[in-house]
Amino acid sequence: MAQNVDLYDAILNGDAKKAHAATEAAIAAGVQPMALIQESMVPAMDEVGRLFECEEYFVPELLLAGRAMKGAMELLKPLLTAAGQKMAVRVVIGTVKGDLHDIGKNIVASMLEGSGFEVIDLGTDVSPENFVAAVELRKPHVICMSALLTVTMPAMKLTIDALNTAGLRTQVKVLIGGAPVTSQYAKDIGADGYSENASGAVGLVKNLLAGEAA
Amino acid sequence: MPIGADLVLHEESDPDTVRNQGDALGRVIEKTATRWKTPLAIPLMDLRLEKIDLVARVGVSQKEAEAFHFTAPLDDETVVTLCGRDAGLFCPGSVARDQALAYIASIPGLLPIGMTIGPFSLVTRLMADPIAAAAMSGSGISPEDSGEVHLLMQCLQIAEATVERSIRSQVAHGARAIMICEPAANTAFLSPRQLRAGSSVFERLVMQPNLRLNSVLEELGCDLIFHNCGELIDAMVEAFAQRFHPVVLSLGSSRKLWEDARLVPADVVLYGNLPTKSFYSDGAMPVAEVIRRAEALVAKMKACGHPHILGSECDVLFVPEACDAILKKVDAMMAVTAPAAPLLKADS
Repeated sequence: MAQNVDLYDAILNGDAKKAHAATEAAIAAGVQPMALIQESMVPAMDEVGRLFECEEYFVPELLLAGRAMKGAMELLKPLLTAAGQKMAVRVVIGTVKGDLHDIGKNIVASMLEGSGFEVIDLGTDVSPENFVAAVELRKPHVICMSALLTVTMPAMKLTIDALNTAGLRTQVKVLIGGAPVTSQYAKDIGADGYSENASGAVGLVKNLLAGEAA
Repeated sequence: MPIGADLVLHEESDPDTVRNQGDALGRVIEKTATRWKTPLAIPLMDLRLEKIDLVARVGVSQKEAEAFHFTAPLDDETVVTLCGRDAGLFCPGSVARDQALAYIASIPGLLPIGMTIGPFSLVTRLMADPIAAAAMSGSGISPEDSGEVHLLMQCLQIAEATVERSIRSQVAHGARAIMICEPAANTAFLSPRQLRAGSSVFERLVMQPNLRLNSVLEELGCDLIFHNCGELIDAMVEAFAQRFHPVVLSLGSSRKLWEDARLVPADVVLYGNLPTKSFYSDGAMPVAEVIRRAEALVAKMKACGHPHILGSECDVLFVPEACDAILKKVDAMMAVTAPAAPLLKADS
């Protein structure tokens, strides 16, 4: 199947209305949902990420593209479920306990979803116990934790400790991010990786899972 | 410097009580200025206060204020209620802030400085998804075409009124300068791509409200200290420096102050900007690195000849297990300029 140019362009330009319309038209024309995702939506988000890396795009463009992608995905999800199809990689994401900031976390979630991952967003102020429960229940491949404040960063370590205590730590990769977080901090608390932006987070997830598969 | 007030506050046995008691908070600010030998009585950087005061008018408690967001366009009556200049009490933190200013104003040799969040940054705390709304506005979508853009513009209106009310109260209690903090007026919220394409979004959402507040400060005879620790492009720095013309411009560590000096009028003091957000980590930012960076910054600013005050880039809030690490680095940073030179240059 050829790329759906209308859908690709709508996502690239962050136009949610056009993305919605293009997806509806493609479904009506009998295009398979997974084909739309893999051949039009993921490439569009890859291009968004590339433009962000070379500073042609900025956070607002990332966010609008993510919203356009998410709107299109909402149309496709029921069809994927009905066809018994699933995304290959599942990611649980949340802002840690005590922290109510969600803008960065939302952008990362959008970018991950746009890259073809299934994203389970636990929201903000997520306790270590709730992260552990999500790992037990949803069996994700990756956990992403966000913190904007230095005061809430220690909750990342508490969550990793809780995963260790529950015997789940080896089952998931743990990535962290947020304004005060550093790669050194990630090492110090035993996380698997750190990214300073949403685009980098997508690459990090891919690299970590590729490394695991190798 | 806000980081200092925060550190000293947490040396108190009950910081949360002190935070809400005017004289006690005033003594913390006095002690901070004395300890680090500065005449600038910079208060605690608590940018939650104006939102607490604002949303209280629609019945949202202080406890719920931080997580509260407006989710749909407001009716006219609510907008009028939220814009009212005099209605409603201030929250305990705002009352303490004002009383602390009065306390500082009574001490000779200290400059009482007020603090408020800027209107655009307050807007970003009033909406769940402000970036998308700002981006849509920047792409030319009007309030009539989008509920999100409509709400954005309403939030800007009520945020400006709230900040003005805060400023007037602080000046009435003795503030001789107000630090307006607009950390959200940055490239994460306002796309340089849109600005390059000619969008007026930065002008409408950031410049115009702050220019009106600048006029209020002029009317009250109070100086402006403008703070923005976000990622900025040169045009933003230039606009802040030249059109707001603050007495002090405080920028984050992503900016090279010695290069920004060319964008800034000679009578605007540049403040900052060591990466204090990293001070909690001895791995990422050891004391020796703090000293090296502080000395390098002071030397470069001296070489470029622009008035400069060495300081932190932002508030770095208390991290229980890292308090000693942060304090050591603040002491080391301040010691770089303390022994030989006054903190304020003669021409500033």
